[in-house]
Amino acid sequence: MAIVKEAYKALEAVVGAKYLSDDPAICEGYRSGPCGYEAGTGYERVMTKIPGAVILPRSTEEVQKIVKICNRYVIPYVPYSTGFYGPRSHPHVENALLVDLKRLNDFEFDEKHWYANLGSGVIYSQFQEECLRRGGYVVIGGGGAQASVIANLIGDGWSPLTHRIGLPHRRILGTEVVLPDGEILRTGSLAVGDDPFWGDGIGPDLRGLLRGYTGLRGCLGIVTKMAVKVLPFQPERLQPTGISPNTALALPEKRVKWVNYIMPSKAAQVKAMYEIGKAEIAGAVTKVPLFWRVIAKAECKEEFWTEWLKETPETIANFHIVRVLLIGFTSEEQMEYDENVLNDIMMELGGQPRRTKPSDESWIKNADSAGMWLMCGSYVSVDYVIETLAQATEHGPVYAELKKKYTPPLMPDHGDPGWFQSFELGYHGYSEFLIYWDQDEDTTGVDHFYLETSKMNIDHRFYTALIGPHQPMYLTGPKYGPNYHEWMLKIKNELDPLWVCHPPVPFAHDEFVDRAPWMHELKTWESPKKSPYPEWLQKQLAAETAAFLAKK
Amino acid sequence: MPTTKVNLETTDLNNYKYDMSRCIKCKGCYWVEHTYQPGVKFSTRCPSNLWNDFDSYGAFGKMRIGTGLVEKKLDWSPTLLEIVYADPLCGACDVGCKRNLDLEIELSLEAMRVKAVQDGAGPMPAHKKIAQNIASFHNVFGATHANRKQWVTADIKVAKKADVLYFVGCTASYRNKEIAQSTAKILSAAKTPFMLMPDEWCCGNTLQSVGMLDEARELAKRNIEMVKNSGAKTVLLSCAEGYRMWKVEYPKLLNIATDDLGFEVVHLVEFADEALKRGDLKLTRPFETRLTYHDSCSISRLADPWTPWSGERGWMGTVSPPLKRRRGAHGLYAQPRNVINAIPGVQFVEMIRTRENAFCCGAGRGTKEAFPDLASFAAGHRLEEVKEVGAEVLVSACPWCKNNFAQAVKEDGSSVKVMDFSELILASLEA
Repeated sequence: MAIVKEAYKALEAVVGAKYLSDDPAICEGYRSGPCGYEAGTGYERVMTKIPGAVILPRSTEEVQKIVKICNRYVIPYVPYSTGFYGPRSHPHVENALLVDLKRLNDFEFDEKHWYANLGSGVIYSQFQEECLRRGGYVVIGGGGAQASVIANLIGDGWSPLTHRIGLPHRRILGTEVVLPDGEILRTGSLAVGDDPFWGDGIGPDLRGLLRGYTGLRGCLGIVTKMAVKVLPFQPERLQPTGISPNTALALPEKRVKWVNYIMPSKAAQVKAMYEIGKAEIAGAVTKVPLFWRVIAKAECKEEFWTEWLKETPETIANFHIVRVLLIGFTSEEQMEYDENVLNDIMMELGGQPRRTKPSDESWIKNADSAGMWLMCGSYVSVDYVIETLAQATEHGPVYAELKKKYTPPLMPDHGDPGWFQSFELGYHGYSEFLIYWDQDEDTTGVDHFYLETSKMNIDHRFYTALIGPHQPMYLTGPKYGPNYHEWMLKIKNELDPLWVCHPPVPFAHDEFVDRAPWMHELKTWESPKKSPYPEWLQKQLAAETAAFLAKK
Repeated sequence: MPTTKVNLETTDLNNYKYDMSRCIKCKGCYWVEHTYQPGVKFSTRCPSNLWNDFDSYGAFGKMRIGTGLVEKKLDWSPTLLEIVYADPLCGACDVGCKRNLDLEIELSLEAMRVKAVQDGAGPMPAHKKIAQNIASFHNVFGATHANRKQWVTADIKVAKKADVLYFVGCTASYRNKEIAQSTAKILSAAKTPFMLMPDEWCCGNTLQSVGMLDEARELAKRNIEMVKNSGAKTVLLSCAEGYRMWKVEYPKLLNIATDDLGFEVVHLVEFADEALKRGDLKLTRPFETRLTYHDSCSISRLADPWTPWSGERGWMGTVSPPLKRRRGAHGLYAQPRNVINAIPGVQFVEMIRTRENAFCCGAGRGTKEAFPDLASFAAGHRLEEVKEVGAEVLVSACPWCKNNFAQAVKEDGSSVKVMDFSELILASLEA
């Protein structure tokens, strides 16, 4: 159903005519594809729609009014901060209202208690610069320096710096959420006062509701404001240098330094991560996908391929790098101590230092996630786990093995097991597996690989972080929790009885598998006969499925 | 692996289908490059998308719209024309994108305008008026052509024959004569004889910028022919837009390389920097002020030389033969700063967004004429930055910037003095 005139007028009264539009040219600018995260996948082609209208609120109060109007007129709506997350952050049903949150860009820094109170439109590099100039720092999530801080923190929120700075939910303090029915929820100490300094607050910790394990992609309301903890860094200035594209932060070497070590074996590589954590040194300890090293060096796509295709499965399997960021948080002497400890560890394990530039091109201020699209055009992190280092470092090779079956269309990566590293001083291990392809190819293999990895996680008992809206809930739900999907449905029905908030997430991947004929052969699980959706959504999804099949 | 033939001609939007379909919404086109990100204030570099917050006004939205045009999903409408034309094509998006990717954003935006013209929808009415003026009077203002050289006063010596040809441009010829006069005096001070075209016509910037390529190409041919006939070895400009036209757009319109023009194209800021280094120009008169410099887009991130290219795109989008991407790294960034720092008494203070991250004044490439609100908004926003760094004087190297900033200062009631680069040098020359 289209957004009725009366509802449109009501929305216009909230934000003014300047900040609401249903013009086709305006709405086209919010199309999910054909580019971006998960570009060209079946999910994107089948499940995303351009919005019926776009609205740009300026305040929590305006968001609340918009959401209440959506409930009154049964208008599906989708919260949208930067749109970088690809299809899953775009409308999945026709005539949805896209709530673009970029104007919620207020920012206050509490100098005394070291947190920042920020809106959904504030991005990481802005926040990091505000912290750095005060001698503090935060993580710039792997999603990139351009990602909305709030969107990233309620979804992912980690990077190599997580080795020291800790998991994201620990830094989420008082938060303001407009629930799917328009009620306002304040979490942490904001629930009982105006100061958001305390994340846990009184009573149950509702941060799990905000993000689940790695985010619910906007299906349980709109976060409009969040206080985020800032941690102490070191006092020296990291100086920006160079002309684009060759820009970097020059590091004050006595206080901040990257060091690369080549290890003799995978066992030594993982052991080094353990030992560094055990010694409680370093700001980051990581092993990133090896093709990232080539991306960083290549001037263009063609140069990337020339260099990358010189590698072989043997060269990749025998290249064991550990990249360590040393930070003299308290003093130059502390930095010296850390470096000495690191050298001792590496000497014992046979690690050889490599020449490392005294600069930072990524992770401190500029997570270069955009560069990941350079070589193929399409990319997705098909899985990530936060487990022990022992399990995380087994996760990637298993994925690499399955990937062979789907290469092509997936990019030839010579069996690179992806990214793994220490989180929280080695108490956790992180693994992320990234896949790349050209969206102009037949992407059925990409869709199949994505789904097969869900089954593989179950078989290998990997605790995938993408259990929520990224995989079929009726496949994964019974195996995790167990009955994770039933809990999810109860929460969704309680908070969003009309299912107007980003429908049909978190069951969208189930909908995709049912709708896309090329996915049916992989459906080895049962979905309940009774639809979980309210009547209006059942009808709309049925109509859209019919339209999709007719178009096919 | 099948390949697709492709070239850089903006006359066919299909040439940019790949580029438009690979935009990932990272908004590198919108934000100041993250390494240089100054915090929550002055953190963007796209005038259009700051003026209108909808994604469609940013390059990331326009890439989707361009794809929609190629796939015939969209019809031209007043809103679509505004999206396409309310944009100074300042190149900030292009260099931002090329920080990480190889996408030709600027050329895609130009090709969308060409398509608008081809489809009979564009350009905007204000642009059509300018096109008429150029056709009838050879200048953008519709001023009397015979008055073009009235800026030449008795104390200015123009050579009949010289190695350097000063191409004055419409604005300095008619509206900002002080720029032409200052430039001429600087050349004389540096003992560099210069000549003018016997009959100078518009450079065609607006025509090229709004997608009227046939008309712009005719001017390019005519102007190049005039230079070749003159025997000049160097064409010197004091206008940034003119500089870009001669150095980049003329070769692009004629499908030749900048190096194949047969003469050198230099802007006054380059000339002054070289003359200072040679010792031909002496900036000895103190200019006591706190001064900042605005990087005009057309002599900075838009100024990489042009090289024609055609070839094939194949596996994973790789192209062959090799394509040297224009990433804005070869702009005139150091030269104006060298000159300013050589002036005694000047306390030079950089703005927060500089060089390839500079925030465009918003006037250029047809914007001021068709969307004066956007031009005023952009200049006003930049003026806030000037005030933030406490500058008393704002210097740029383009008459379009100067006039737009001067208007913003007037509207703001601020005490900031706006000067062209030529005036600054003249003020610091030996008495």
